[in-house]
Amino acid sequence: MTGESIAFFILALTAIAGGVMMINMSNVIHMVVALVFTFLAIAGIYITLSAEFVAAVQVLIYSGAITIIMLFGIMLTRHERMTEWKLPKMTVLLSGAGILVFFLIMFFGINRLSLGNPATDLHIDNTKKIGVELYSKYVIPFELTSVLLLVALIGAIVIAKRDDEKEAGK
Amino acid sequence: MVNDLLTSPPGWIHAAIFLGLGACLLVIVLGFVTYAILAERKVLGFMQLRPGPNRVGGRFGLLQTVADVMKLLIKEDTIPKAADKPLFVLAPVLAFAPAFMVLAAIPFSDHLKFSDLSIGLLYYIAISGITTVGILMAGWASNNKYSLLGGMRSAAQMISYEIPLVVSVVGVIMFSGSLNLTEIVEGQKTVAYMFLSPLGFIVFLISSIAELNRTPFDLPEAESELVAGYHVEYSGFRWAFFMLTEYVYLFAMAALTTVLFLGGWNPVPFLGFIPGIIWFALKFSLIVFFMIWVRGTMPRLRADQLMEFAWKVLLPVALLNIFVSAVVKELFLR
Repeated sequence: MTGESIAFFILALTAIAGGVMMINMSNVIHMVVALVFTFLAIAGIYITLSAEFVAAVQVLIYSGAITIIMLFGIMLTRHERMTEWKLPKMTVLLSGAGILVFFLIMFFGINRLSLGNPATDLHIDNTKKIGVELYSKYVIPFELTSVLLLVALIGAIVIAKRDDEKEAGK
Repeated sequence: MVNDLLTSPPGWIHAAIFLGLGACLLVIVLGFVTYAILAERKVLGFMQLRPGPNRVGGRFGLLQTVADVMKLLIKEDTIPKAADKPLFVLAPVLAFAPAFMVLAAIPFSDHLKFSDLSIGLLYYIAISGITTVGILMAGWASNNKYSLLGGMRSAAQMISYEIPLVVSVVGVIMFSGSLNLTEIVEGQKTVAYMFLSPLGFIVFLISSIAELNRTPFDLPEAESELVAGYHVEYSGFRWAFFMLTEYVYLFAMAALTTVLFLGGWNPVPFLGFIPGIIWFALKFSLIVFFMIWVRGTMPRLRADQLMEFAWKVLLPVALLNIFVSAVVKELFLR
């Protein structure tokens, strides 16, 4: 067993444990904290794959920004404690069967999968490579995404502004 | 020495050596924190025409912080009954760990560095974001309205000022063509980036003070309105952790400013005989002094002014800085 696989097992376990805890906890804030650990573990897995740029972005966007937005959303809105409800037995059985089928398909699919010869030099200067690819091959999708984000940003401002005026009108 | 360690294949001995080096750094940082707090109190004292701490440990109060820490350690460790206990315990750890983690990326001199990350700058920015989660968590878990307000303010402020902070650095990245902090320092052999992108430097300095939650941006712990902000309910050792986080970030941010804008360990022209680490220490101390100076000079901002300032002043200036930097690079640095 190499150090790499040990690191992978620890990170994968953390990621899965975080996910399971997130589903099973009853307190919303605890769920978000569990989610943070999942995100961090996934960033760690990226590092074991020597994709450090993606790892840093994962931490920056997911563990940092998105988590905080979720926390704000939860804390600033009124939320009653969720009452636990019992699922009907049929639903549990059906979804269990669905999960089993999905697992089997994925398992055999992955077993049979061959990706050809893995690239050996992708980890060298990968930040630069991502930049070059983004601005040469994928420049149109990239620009379209930025326009989409800009539209979302302006939309958010417009919606917030409208609320403000209504309150002022009252 | 560290360069050899970083390039040779890893093993148990490496892990042990790095653990030892990390422990050394921790001790150095703790020493810095001890005397940074004393320096802050002394300098603020002089600015306000009073002597500052001058009893414990001789005329200059050299052991004042040590005594304060001792007092903190033997204080009762309280956890409020209505607090969310697991999060209450986890929050100081989640706030402090990133503060120490970011130090790994910072090169202190040509030979003294703990890593050579190709994305050093991005690593710093990404990891330091996790502290916000810790602070927000502390505010929420305390189950106290002042803590919650303080935590919220802190998170909102740190997110808002992170944007001008990151955008102001883009100029530096363009000049050096790298995210690696060592390469950024080496790119400043002839001229420091603070002269090439002065706008970026000013925006970075202001937003770094805001990121550190220091006066004039210390709304999260505005004692006149919020008692103490997100750490109202904390006492003893846990409270010490939040204080430690704050000062370790002061260390890290001053070091980062030195590396990005002041040329790191590069000497001032004609004074190259002085070793690099001393230059680093000098520039670093200058930044720390500046932070203390600002604290002694400026009054606190109002919450709405704070947000307006980040979005309506700093962000446009930072964007302008990108444009100006691109023009400067194309015209003069080809």
